Amino acid sequence: MRAGDRPAVAIAGVGQAGPVAADSRSIPEMVLAAVEEALADAAIGFDGVEAVVTASVDLFDGLTASNVAITEVVGAVMRPETRIAGDGLCAAIHGACELRAGACETVLAVAHGKASMAPHWALTEWAMDPVFLQPLGIDFLVCAGLQACALAQGDGGATERWAELAARRAAAGDAAIAPPRSAAEILASPVLASPLRRGMAAPLGDGACAVVLRAAAGGPGEAPVRIAGAGWDLEPHSPGERDLARWHGLERACARAGLDRTDPGLELAEPSCLFAHEEELFRAAAGIGEEAPLSPGGGLFAGTAPHVAGLSRLIACARAIRDGAARRALAHGAWGPAGQAHAVAVLEAW
Amino acid sequence: MSAVAIIGTGQTRHASRRDDVSQPELVREAAEAALADAAVGPDEVDAVLLANMELFEGRALPELWAGAGAFAAGKPCMKVATGGTSGTSGCIAAFHQVAAGLFDLVLVVGFEKHSEGHSQTGMALTDPFWDRAVASGALGNFALSISQYVAERGATAEQAALVAVKARRNAARNPHAHLRMGDLTVEEVLSSRMLADPVRLLDMCPQSDGACAIVVASAAAARRRSRRPAWVLAAETRHEQPYIGDIDRRLVTMRTLRDAARVAYRRAGIGDPLTDLDVAEIYEPVSYAELAWYEALGFCADGDAGRLVEEGVTGMEGELPVNPSGGVLSSNPVGASGVIRVAEAALQIHGRGGERQVEGARLALATGYGVYAWADAVVLGAEAGAT
Amino acid sequence: MTAGAIAAEPLGVACPMDLGWRYASGAAMERFLAGLRERRIEALRCDGCGRRYLPPRPLCGDCRLPLDRWVPVAAAGTLEAWSVYRLPILDGRTGEPRPTPYGIGLVRLDGADTTINHLLAETDPGRLRIGLRVRAVWREELRGALDDILHFEVAR
Repeated sequence: MRAGDRPAVAIAGVGQAGPVAADSRSIPEMVLAAVEEALADAAIGFDGVEAVVTASVDLFDGLTASNVAITEVVGAVMRPETRIAGDGLCAAIHGACELRAGACETVLAVAHGKASMAPHWALTEWAMDPVFLQPLGIDFLVCAGLQACALAQGDGGATERWAELAARRAAAGDAAIAPPRSAAEILASPVLASPLRRGMAAPLGDGACAVVLRAAAGGPGEAPVRIAGAGWDLEPHSPGERDLARWHGLERACARAGLDRTDPGLELAEPSCLFAHEEELFRAAAGIGEEAPLSPGGGLFAGTAPHVAGLSRLIACARAIRDGAARRALAHGAWGPAGQAHAVAVLEAW
Repeated sequence: MSAVAIIGTGQTRHASRRDDVSQPELVREAAEAALADAAVGPDEVDAVLLANMELFEGRALPELWAGAGAFAAGKPCMKVATGGTSGTSGCIAAFHQVAAGLFDLVLVVGFEKHSEGHSQTGMALTDPFWDRAVASGALGNFALSISQYVAERGATAEQAALVAVKARRNAARNPHAHLRMGDLTVEEVLSSRMLADPVRLLDMCPQSDGACAIVVASAAAARRRSRRPAWVLAAETRHEQPYIGDIDRRLVTMRTLRDAARVAYRRAGIGDPLTDLDVAEIYEPVSYAELAWYEALGFCADGDAGRLVEEGVTGMEGELPVNPSGGVLSSNPVGASGVIRVAEAALQIHGRGGERQVEGARLALATGYGVYAWADAVVLGAEAGAT
Repeated sequence: MTAGAIAAEPLGVACPMDLGWRYASGAAMERFLAGLRERRIEALRCDGCGRRYLPPRPLCGDCRLPLDRWVPVAAAGTLEAWSVYRLPILDGRTGEPRPTPYGIGLVRLDGADTTINHLLAETDPGRLRIGLRVRAVWREELRGALDDILHFEVAR
């Protein structure tokens, strides 16, 4: 997304529904609320959208080709739409590709998820290798526990540190889904997957995000935020094939996005960390020390819908840049067991 | 869109069961074949796009597991899932990612291993409040729409059977095809078991295990690596309203495919598709659909599709051979089927179609069809377009 | 078996699936389903194109306008498409196969512009044709679900 004669990609509007613990609205209603907010924010109507990229996962929605349910409310009837089954940030990144390719001038990127529909972690078992891993009952939660265990090896203070981090993040958020808790309470909360306790996991709920992207030349009068770089990566599947103490995939994704780990030059990072220990993996992989604010609004600990997370992080970055709180920010999305897949977007003020 | 091209294709042997391979191995079979065809090493691939309808295997995010088959580990990888159009839309996503300047070489692999799941259940999860109680799958939906198409356009069972025969006879010349029936006759189609009036067993596509891959290259990489790239001249997608009952006589109107084709033809400089195109690979899950698509794609006037197949216009020796591969009617691994259409169209431009080669093919159409009326149209040419 | 030999029967791993989801109906669908309990069918009419939508939904996909104008719809209409289904197929609600053959149709209810996809009582193809008048046959105990209509029968 850098240089060349291709158009730049501006973030022209953002909208969100939720996250809340359980949204009584249907998926289309929830998505429509996010889309209407994004369109209003971009000061366009549905007619201003030329193409749509959505992100959703059939098994999590309990629907065959689940983007069928939202074709109307994303304005995709008789328009180009494609659906990436992965984290919502992929929808924005692929939408940016369509703009850079010159396929259209305006793209609407949308992601939705409702964790309230079914036990989320149990569903993730169906994303694991059905020959070697699924029969052992290994799901994303178990993998997170394995990863935390690998990190805690020889690190006696790890769990206390994660509990404090989780307490701090939860307190910073608006606690839409779960009430904030002290580190001591978190350490006393039930074990999810040892050594992880419930309070060390971001609360899951329902939500939708929508982002209007526009091909832009830049300059005065332009939307104030642009996507300056993007990268994504898929690591080997089995946790046994990976060094669980590092997010190598995120390192590669950041490099592809043009980020220099030794000097990322970021004023804000919004990672998709569903567990407290993942923040340490994120910092190490992206090369982010204590100088740049990270998840000032609590990140996913304020609540998140699964696989909408990355797009919600992009929205958080875009808002911060618009508000003047940062000039360069990193949005991150992740999916798969123990951070198997990552996507990042670098956002900058014009 | 800046110029991109397809420089290699590969596919598996498609069959009702491929118990000899796992899903990642099935993906690997197609990926290796496409990379070999393009003379590209796995390490040279910049990014991977997968296409698959994961619910048919009862899975979620299958790229996590099967991605390794496409050499995706350590690479950027996304997965497209849009029903029957997954494959064509997956290819189009790759065109866009390359045209965006992000990558020089992208490997697309579409796959489905129906035998490992329960595809009927996978298709049955429609709107739980509206049609889940009555949904009768793709077969039921097609049968309904065919009753309208037959009533309005006068297409006959014999004309549909001719399409089925053409497909399976063509498939006999395609070593990858699932249903290879070189001696199939119209009478056999007309006497095959009635599944849902008027659709008979041999009118309908099979369910297959299979995978198909293409290598998409930037203009520079294509010129450097390929003697005859298949250039992407146009790629259009249209989605439709969410319920079958929303779409007015869908096989008759098929406004999505009509509009996608109209725009794609314009971009590719095609005036009359029947004379300008050299070959077409269209997504026809049922014999009657091919007739309807001829009309939607402008190969003939509305109501004239039966004549096209009766006169052999779309046969291998006709003016516009349609589905030399045998089409979806002969092989249908859903997530792969759209990639197969694009790969077979590219194969014709590459001039590597073997027994199913259309002599001197220079302009080819590939289409995708999904859900109730989602449509993709892709035009490939032997010469890079003006875009 | 020697090392490297392949078993005659391919090995497989069985992963039995037993999943369930709690779906939210949405406001428009909720009103529609509540109506069914009283044998009342209502559609939403688009102020842009005038199309009367079943099922009711938040937005007209063509005009991209919100829908909020309810109009009454009859429990009888015209058969717009039909087939007789003869394959065993799973019922998406129960996971059990439906008895075959069974009739299916697209019915344009009087007062609606989209069609409803439903079962037909008639299973003889010789007695079905587009344009037939059909009417809903209701379940005795109404539950507020689409299958409160058991099927449509030909009005003779």
